[in-house]
Amino acid sequence: MSFVSRMINWARIKSPWIIHFNTGACNACDIEIIAALTPRYDIERFGIQLKGTPRHADVLVCSGPVTRQIEKRLVRIYEQMAEPKFVVACGTCSCSGGVFNGCYNVKGGINEVIPVSAFIPGCPVRPEAIIDGVVKLLGSLEKAAALPSPED
Amino acid sequence: MSEETIQKELENKFSGLKGKITIKRKRRIYVDVTDDIFHNVFAFIVKDLKFPILCTITGLDEGETFGAVYHLASEDGIVLNLKNHVPRANPVFRTISEYFPGGIIYERELVDMFGAKVEGLPPGPRYPLPDGWPDGQFPLRKDWKADMLDKKPEDVKNE
Amino acid sequence: MSNVKIPIGPQHPALKEPASFTITLNGERILSMDLRLGYNHRGIEKACEERSYIQCMYLLERVCGICSHSHSTAFIQAVEELAGLEVPKRGLYIRTLVAELERIHSHLLWLGVAGHEVGFDTLLMYSWRDREVVMDLLAALTGNRVNYGMNTVGGVRRDISPDQIKDIQKGLDILEERTKYYVEVATEETTLIERLSGVGYLSPEDARNLGAVGPTGRGSQVDRDVRRDDPYASYGDVSFKVITDDHNDVYGRTLVRVKELFETYGIIRQLLKNMPDGPIAVKAPRRIPAGEALSRYEAPRGEDVHFVKSNGTDKPERVKVRAPTMANLQAVAKMLENNRLADVPIIVAAIDPCFSCTDRSIQIKDPSGGNTGVMSWSQIREYGINWYKKHGIDFKSKGL
Repeated sequence: MSFVSRMINWARIKSPWIIHFNTGACNACDIEIIAALTPRYDIERFGIQLKGTPRHADVLVCSGPVTRQIEKRLVRIYEQMAEPKFVVACGTCSCSGGVFNGCYNVKGGINEVIPVSAFIPGCPVRPEAIIDGVVKLLGSLEKAAALPSPED
Repeated sequence: MSEETIQKELENKFSGLKGKITIKRKRRIYVDVTDDIFHNVFAFIVKDLKFPILCTITGLDEGETFGAVYHLASEDGIVLNLKNHVPRANPVFRTISEYFPGGIIYERELVDMFGAKVEGLPPGPRYPLPDGWPDGQFPLRKDWKADMLDKKPEDVKNE
Repeated sequence: MSNVKIPIGPQHPALKEPASFTITLNGERILSMDLRLGYNHRGIEKACEERSYIQCMYLLERVCGICSHSHSTAFIQAVEELAGLEVPKRGLYIRTLVAELERIHSHLLWLGVAGHEVGFDTLLMYSWRDREVVMDLLAALTGNRVNYGMNTVGGVRRDISPDQIKDIQKGLDILEERTKYYVEVATEETTLIERLSGVGYLSPEDARNLGAVGPTGRGSQVDRDVRRDDPYASYGDVSFKVITDDHNDVYGRTLVRVKELFETYGIIRQLLKNMPDGPIAVKAPRRIPAGEALSRYEAPRGEDVHFVKSNGTDKPERVKVRAPTMANLQAVAKMLENNRLADVPIIVAAIDPCFSCTDRSIQIKDPSGGNTGVMSWSQIREYGINWYKKHGIDFKSKGL
């Protein structure tokens, strides 16, 4: 990778900004995502910040299965993010539709609609699992940064 | 007022209700009415027997008829479940929103989910189905299946 | 002053039953509001007709991730009534215990969310840290932090050990101390009081007519609580006060929730002290005899109503769920009247919708044909916090 790309990647790994999006579920995973920010789990010590707009975010953290009416908005939010971007499916519902699979208004997991970088199962997903999943994702980014690129 | 007193009052006022009132357990009364007397019975229960709480309205697909159960509660915790029926071929209810403005949303559900009509319902957005939901598809009808959503309207009508 | 229509619409649901509010503004003041609900429709009632009763219970637990035990219990009570089952006392006590523990976690969660909506993030951090005490108790008791899976048809699935009882008592002591602090904050912290008082007024008459339930209704003097009026589980065996407040506004709703916590601690202590011995469940049939049952439950948010119609098979004929937020959302339109745009976040949050809406979108239209902008929920929250800063109410400047 060129020096600039390595810098950008380093900044991303050291301080990924996330946007959280609920695509239609029971909110248990949303609460656990917020709980990950509170003192007991304190995900902010990894430099992770919760942002309000997709344009500032590196990682899209989704909770909930994809309902028919949310699908378009999910795609729009994904498209508004700048590359490189990563999607984390938090909770069994975003992984596969979970307990709502088969409900007439539910399409399935997030990966039916947008590409997913990391699946974190759980009903709801535990805050420790969220931290574990995000750290693993950051680890894989680091590995990608270490790979030589054609520009070198 | 005890459950038995409520039953007596109803039977005295509406002779047609004899045999249509069941006290299933403490604080639970079930009353089955026909549409022609529904509104008078409803008004009597709410105003005279003092049931100021409408918990919700449940729609039912009963085959030849559509049912609507109005779950009314008193301040003493007694719930009176008043069931009305209308023919499937012409499913028209009349609104009770003059007694319960908060009940409008439950009546909208009868419209969206069963394809019933509610006369006197003030204009407003649908509930709970999303905009763009195809016409003629009523999810809580027993003959509706989820795979109908992906079919063309003509095919659905023929099913 | 021209009238500006502002549709506040979630294009995605963050509320359990999220709303789109179309607000007509006159300058800063809200003139009127139209309500559009249903963005979170999943088709759960239909799905229940194709699942066995136990499967339905697990599905209904996930209607709302904050009061999952409420929905699970409300449903299972109806099924037990249809099957003619008498749940053993110990099972009922454990069921009630989990219900009250859930109430604690929910009210503390709400306190944090309310703090966050007005810019008092310290309150969010403190209350959610304290909430972890009860989350640990629930996890130890049931195996999960949320969606406990504690119920089964005929009773509960897990018993409670004497050590767990001791742990809960210790946990309650800690929580009671911390809650005293929150009462102080709620009654003495002038910044918070100014932010919450006079906001979101709902008269007792309107509260009754629009069917407001739970702390939302009780904050406007509607003296109704299903635990006292239509007792279920073990509530007939315990004594507690139903808390109402006469402020009729967001401040009143705050006081009701904080004071209710003390009543809950008292209920739990009584349950633990008098926990009967015996089995925790009775055997239940797979096929439930035909009939109809109406079950009511006082969830942290208010009255939760489940109606179940059975037909003699192992699957229900019809399941109807009326969650409490549903009843309270209708009152929100009234509450927003004559308030400022800056107060929208806390007024809506004060009914304790299933989760704080992190992404409701607000479209601002100028009827004279001017600019159209879109504000996200976090932007209108910022707007509210900044408006109050300009008018002298700033949590950060007071070191809070």
